[in-house]
Amino acid sequence: MSTQKTIRTRRGLALVAGSAALALTLIGCSGGGEAEPAPERDLGTPVAGEIQEGALDGVTLTFAGSGGVFQDGQTEALWDPFAAASGATVNQDAFDAGKLKAMVDSGNVSWDIVNTTQFDTARGCGTLYEEYDYSQIDISKIPEGTITDKCMVPQILYGLVVVYNTDKFGDNPPTSAADFFDTEKFPGKRTVSQSTYVDPQTVEFALTAQGKDITSLETSDIEGAFDMYKDLGDDVIGWTTGAQAQQQLESGEAVMGLVWSGRGYGAAAAGAPVAPMWDEWMIMVDSNGIPKGVKDPQAAFAAVNYSIGAEQQAKMTELTSYGGVNVDAKPEVDDLLSEWITTERLDTGIAPNVDFWVENYDALSAAWAGWATGN
Amino acid sequence: MTDHTVTGGAAPAGAVAPGADAVGAKKRGPKNWRPLLLLIPAFVIVSMFFLAPLADVFIRSITDPVPGVQNYVWLFTTEANLNVVLRTFGTAILVTFVCLLLAYPYAYLMTIVSDRTRNLMQLFIMMPLWTSILVRTLAWMVLLQDTGPINGLLAAWFGIGPIPLIRTTFGVALGMTQVLLPFMVLPLYSSMSKIDKRLLPAASNLGANPVTAFFTVYLPLSKPGIFSGGVTVFILGLGFYIIPALLGSSKEIMISAMIQQQISVFLMWGQGTALGIFLLVCTILILVVVSRFNKGGSLFPGVDR
Repeated sequence: MSTQKTIRTRRGLALVAGSAALALTLIGCSGGGEAEPAPERDLGTPVAGEIQEGALDGVTLTFAGSGGVFQDGQTEALWDPFAAASGATVNQDAFDAGKLKAMVDSGNVSWDIVNTTQFDTARGCGTLYEEYDYSQIDISKIPEGTITDKCMVPQILYGLVVVYNTDKFGDNPPTSAADFFDTEKFPGKRTVSQSTYVDPQTVEFALTAQGKDITSLETSDIEGAFDMYKDLGDDVIGWTTGAQAQQQLESGEAVMGLVWSGRGYGAAAAGAPVAPMWDEWMIMVDSNGIPKGVKDPQAAFAAVNYSIGAEQQAKMTELTSYGGVNVDAKPEVDDLLSEWITTERLDTGIAPNVDFWVENYDALSAAWAGWATGN
Repeated sequence: MTDHTVTGGAAPAGAVAPGADAVGAKKRGPKNWRPLLLLIPAFVIVSMFFLAPLADVFIRSITDPVPGVQNYVWLFTTEANLNVVLRTFGTAILVTFVCLLLAYPYAYLMTIVSDRTRNLMQLFIMMPLWTSILVRTLAWMVLLQDTGPINGLLAAWFGIGPIPLIRTTFGVALGMTQVLLPFMVLPLYSSMSKIDKRLLPAASNLGANPVTAFFTVYLPLSKPGIFSGGVTVFILGLGFYIIPALLGSSKEIMISAMIQQQISVFLMWGQGTALGIFLLVCTILILVVVSRFNKGGSLFPGVDR
């Protein structure tokens, strides 16, 4: 009996010890060790879209994008060729700003390049995102004015565009932001973003319709912009995801929508009778951001430099409809796609007032939170 | 198995049995703590993956971005938050009642039909659980929209419409009810199947009309099922995100969307975690209140006190 007792006690102790060891191991894993510093390489003078053969052999990079057709197209046009040329391995993941903050706060950053918005990189520059060393990137072919903070290189140039049903308004299409709000001249439901994700351009669009100059905004303008949408009453419906916006246009439920240009193209490519209004459209730029604390910034810079080459950007546009950021990019597009290319129509686009929104983000986010929750 | 392992007492079974007996007999003695060691792996896992993150969430809510209760002040002083909180609870209560109304007769039928029919009925109720919630929600989206088949038929047959179905509380409640119905039917069936069928004829024999017999005999006996189904559906209903987003308008958005927005978009983790803690505390309070009403038994059938 006493032997049995001893065995039981030992078992008990072993169990405690085992559990403690398991706990420690798991906690240890989550902490993350200090990685060796990345080697300094001589990659020469950067030329957009070029990388020395095998220069990054053995390096693994992870790109976190926004998913869907867009990320698939980027993978095919940018990251797979980059991996083949440089010898690096490029993994794909889905971007989420909250996840990025968790990574940076815990000092365990597993992304190297992320697709985010110019507002995000501007707000998080130096805290969530690394500042670029522009001497390692060839930005000579990037359109002027699209680099809006030190932590970004533009990724795509697209837009928030009015897309209308041509069966309804083919003969007499809307030609101004104000027309979007004119339900007498253009009857029917229109869809706008009520996603939890904030697009300041949605606010700027309403202000454009009011005749406001986007380059000189006041915080008091914000509420007025949301009131414009609320005043549409039952005629305004919301979309919470890009896919939903496209679905509402395709089904004809919305006769007009303020949607991302790629989603309008998606609806048109699916056969919906829709067309874009280019008279007053809101320019949007997505950023290539490098997370703060990235393990090998030089490799990440090289990948971004490769991705903005003319050839790569042209292919990405062909695959995704989103406008490239290299002025030399000449995508071969069919008739349908050519109607949706933003980069050809920058003269009628309205550029966002990035500084204003970064500075007044709290006012915008409070108003947007109310708008997105029906208050 | 050899004789040696069985009689040797070193096998886990030998270690458990005496202790379990002791606990069962509610004896207090020096030997009783040993079986508790078996709980250590579970305790370690729960601490690491539930308690520690929960503590972290709570600490963030009172320290992010600076120590203090400003996040809770924000929560209670922002009208939009309170509206969404009320809406969330209202929607969950509505869905719970709708589920109960639909599930009660269904579960009752399951207790009186043949085995084959019961299996079929069970299959019907389980099928939604096996389909992706996103696919189901998209199907509702297509069906319910103004240009969808339902409104199309209404227009073709009766010349009315379009009736707003999508982007209404109705649409959200419909989608949520479909998803949550099994969680109401199964506990109801489990508690109803234990009720002696002869009690109702006995009640009528004693002079009760069917309605009285139902309300005084059958309903009280099925109470454990109602409470456990109701609590499960209600608590699951509080956390819905994708269905209100796709079948509702901004006026049907629930608290989970606000938490997501604060965490992932605004990066205001203090405010997001305060919302989460508030939801958790409310849920626990409701559980406590409901369990007070359900004096007869546990909240979950099969777990008898």
